[in-house]
Amino acid sequence: MNEPIDSETVFLARHQLDTLITALRGRGYEVVGPTIDQGAIVYSEITSAADLPVGWTDDQQPGRYRLKKRDDDACFGYVVGPHSWKKFLFPPLATVAAAERTQNGWVMQTPGSVEDTPRYAFLGVRGCELAAIQIQDRVFMGGAYTDPTYARRREAAFIVAVNCTQAAPTCFCTSMNTGPDCRSGFDLALTETSTGFVIEAGSEAGRTLLLELPVSAVTADQLQVAAAARQQAVDQIERHLDTDGLRDLLVNNLNHPQWEDVAERCLSCTNCTMVCPTCFCSTVAEVSDLTGDHVRRERRWDSCFNIDFSYMNGGIVRNSIRSRYRQWLTHKLGTWQDQFGTSGCVGCGRCITWCPTEIDLTAEVAAIRATAGRAVVSASATEVTP
Amino acid sequence: METMDRELSELLRETRFAEGFSEQELQSVARAGRLHRAGKGTMLFQEGEVEDEVFVVCSGHVALEMQVPRRGNVRLLTVGSGELVGWSGLTADGRMTASAVVTEDATLIALSSKALRELCRSDHELGYLLMTRTARAISQRLLATRLQLLDLFAETQPQARPGQAS
Amino acid sequence: MNGSATCPAQDPWLAHSVRIQQVIQETPGVATYNLAFDDPVVGERFRYRPGQFCMIYLPGLGEIAVSISGNPARTDVVPHTIRVAGRVTQALADLEEGAGIGLRGPFGSVWPTDRCAGRDVILAAGGIGLAPLRPVIYDILADRDRYGAVTLLYGCRLPSGLLYTSEYQKWRAGGIAVKTTVDRAEDDWGGNVGVVTVLLDRLSLARPSETVLMTCGPEVMMWYTIQAALDRGLNADSVFLSMERNMNCAIGLCGHCQFGSDFVCKDGPVLPYERVASILRVDDL
Repeated sequence: MNEPIDSETVFLARHQLDTLITALRGRGYEVVGPTIDQGAIVYSEITSAADLPVGWTDDQQPGRYRLKKRDDDACFGYVVGPHSWKKFLFPPLATVAAAERTQNGWVMQTPGSVEDTPRYAFLGVRGCELAAIQIQDRVFMGGAYTDPTYARRREAAFIVAVNCTQAAPTCFCTSMNTGPDCRSGFDLALTETSTGFVIEAGSEAGRTLLLELPVSAVTADQLQVAAAARQQAVDQIERHLDTDGLRDLLVNNLNHPQWEDVAERCLSCTNCTMVCPTCFCSTVAEVSDLTGDHVRRERRWDSCFNIDFSYMNGGIVRNSIRSRYRQWLTHKLGTWQDQFGTSGCVGCGRCITWCPTEIDLTAEVAAIRATAGRAVVSASATEVTP
Repeated sequence: METMDRELSELLRETRFAEGFSEQELQSVARAGRLHRAGKGTMLFQEGEVEDEVFVVCSGHVALEMQVPRRGNVRLLTVGSGELVGWSGLTADGRMTASAVVTEDATLIALSSKALRELCRSDHELGYLLMTRTARAISQRLLATRLQLLDLFAETQPQARPGQAS
Repeated sequence: MNGSATCPAQDPWLAHSVRIQQVIQETPGVATYNLAFDDPVVGERFRYRPGQFCMIYLPGLGEIAVSISGNPARTDVVPHTIRVAGRVTQALADLEEGAGIGLRGPFGSVWPTDRCAGRDVILAAGGIGLAPLRPVIYDILADRDRYGAVTLLYGCRLPSGLLYTSEYQKWRAGGIAVKTTVDRAEDDWGGNVGVVTVLLDRLSLARPSETVLMTCGPEVMMWYTIQAALDRGLNADSVFLSMERNMNCAIGLCGHCQFGSDFVCKDGPVLPYERVASILRVDDL
């Protein structure tokens, strides 16, 4: 144990990164972080710094994602991959309720408790991802009803953020005001430099943990190098989404011809919603054993791009790709504001990278904006306040 | 006949068809009309026949039916107070496109189609008003027919609030 | 428009065990299921307002969202009127009285009966859309003097599909004008033929600006009923409708029932017309 350092910001040498992982594991956390699997950097359980994608980066373009060797040993020298942390907080498969048939009829239960909730420590949460978690907090915990699965996992989680030092051509977090800097919502935030990590504590839990690590006081030089590294990410961002009046723009252009245009290209494959760190659509399905006496209600990720998602009374409400894409984009960038007081988009660019037909939502919005007003639904549309 | 006309114009004033008509306009139209009371079961006119009167329903109900071989008289619509029946006499030669049967004792104003057409020709202001009201009645009838055509309850079967399906 | 949250906010997935106390066959394929709570404590706590719905759960088969069609003043049984439409509703229809099932709720917004004091009220229902409005009728009958003229306009496809016909006399006696119409007359039908909008067209309205419309039925029916009402001089802010969408979670967490800026399960099903006026006729929303 080191001398306690009287500062919010400290320095951890590169070869000491394992001490952070060990300390977290020692506190009972399952540490999940970036690791390479099937040609992509994904989030999975890690046990040491050796599991990290050391010396690798990602090359992203609309419809393209490739891993590439770096010419250094950076642990966090990539941007974002197909995974986001929502898979841990809002698991793709979760049992929300159960029913057991007894002699006296059905006994209903809601399984899960604080005790059996996994305690995750997320290592490598980007600025846009912190924003995404805060958005899902509002969805699952901010309304009249709280989702117990999400709330328990969220309460238990420890967040180690990592500031971006590079950006992908698909990134536009600066437009969404979510990054690249990590501003809030973390226990610790790291900035990686060639010699180690400048670490900032963002919570009491983070400060306490730092006491266990072999950190040293941060030097002015180290701070300057870290700041320059972070600035590099800012400078690299080229993509832009004009958010001015965006909600009204979309809501007032529900019959814009651009929806037909994008529908020609969109495959309704759901990729964008699966990789999106804020999309939260789900469906509960019944899972019963052969006797039918033991039933679980399983919640699975769903997508507004699935054709039967809007199924109602023998019919599909959104029976065209045009209407489904419109639903997704107007919700994500527009009506989300009405519901949760924030945009549903954090500018991470995943939906652009992972779209098999290279659809770029920033370009779709720009196209609508360029010709808006020529296709306004009706004059009354603007008069009605939601 | 003065009192008769006055009674008619009073009745007419109460109908939605003549809502907003001036006293003079009411009088002019009433002069073309007669009061007609018809008991339940009375046939006002028959499909295919030429009718020289147009009816404004003041009270009671009238059913419009079309005759279909093997299905008999198919009841398409019932009309009630304020509505116009037999408007073919205003817009065409007066050949009725449905039969009208009183289903609930009715008080009607029977207006001479010929006299109304004369009135429209001689007084374009009033003619415009009458034709606008007639057009409104027809467009409401058309909308109602479209809604029936959609067969909404069949289409959304099972429909309910909320989501009584699945 | 907030519902009373009997459903525990912290444990919203938990279903209550209920028993089918009685099944009332209403029309071919439509029955009212009177549900009673196994746990009397839960039953005593259970309160709902007109317009709210419950998730009825058949373990192994799934949940369906159904409006409560009963008298809110009576909590010993909670009636739901349901048409056989699919797997769950068919299985429900096959159950005997006394069978145990699950129930979550009540959920959603309520009809604005509290805004109707001293005002005239028109209830316009189509098909099984009368079910969510029946609690309003019971509420009004329980305190009839509180309201002005009250009219129920009810349209159905066939006379045999009209719900709750045995109660109309009682409703009329209680001071509610009940007017029915059908799309297609059957042999002995001597009543109105035509859609519900024409009933509204010919209704005499003493004070349209002091009249509230609540409507529930197919969206197209509701839209044209509302247009007819506005045409007759009702104020847009006095018009309310009950929307239907695919409700899966009932607590605003799954996304299925989104309609514009609303989740119908949470912000609806009862919505002020003005809130959705601009999007009601947008295709495939």
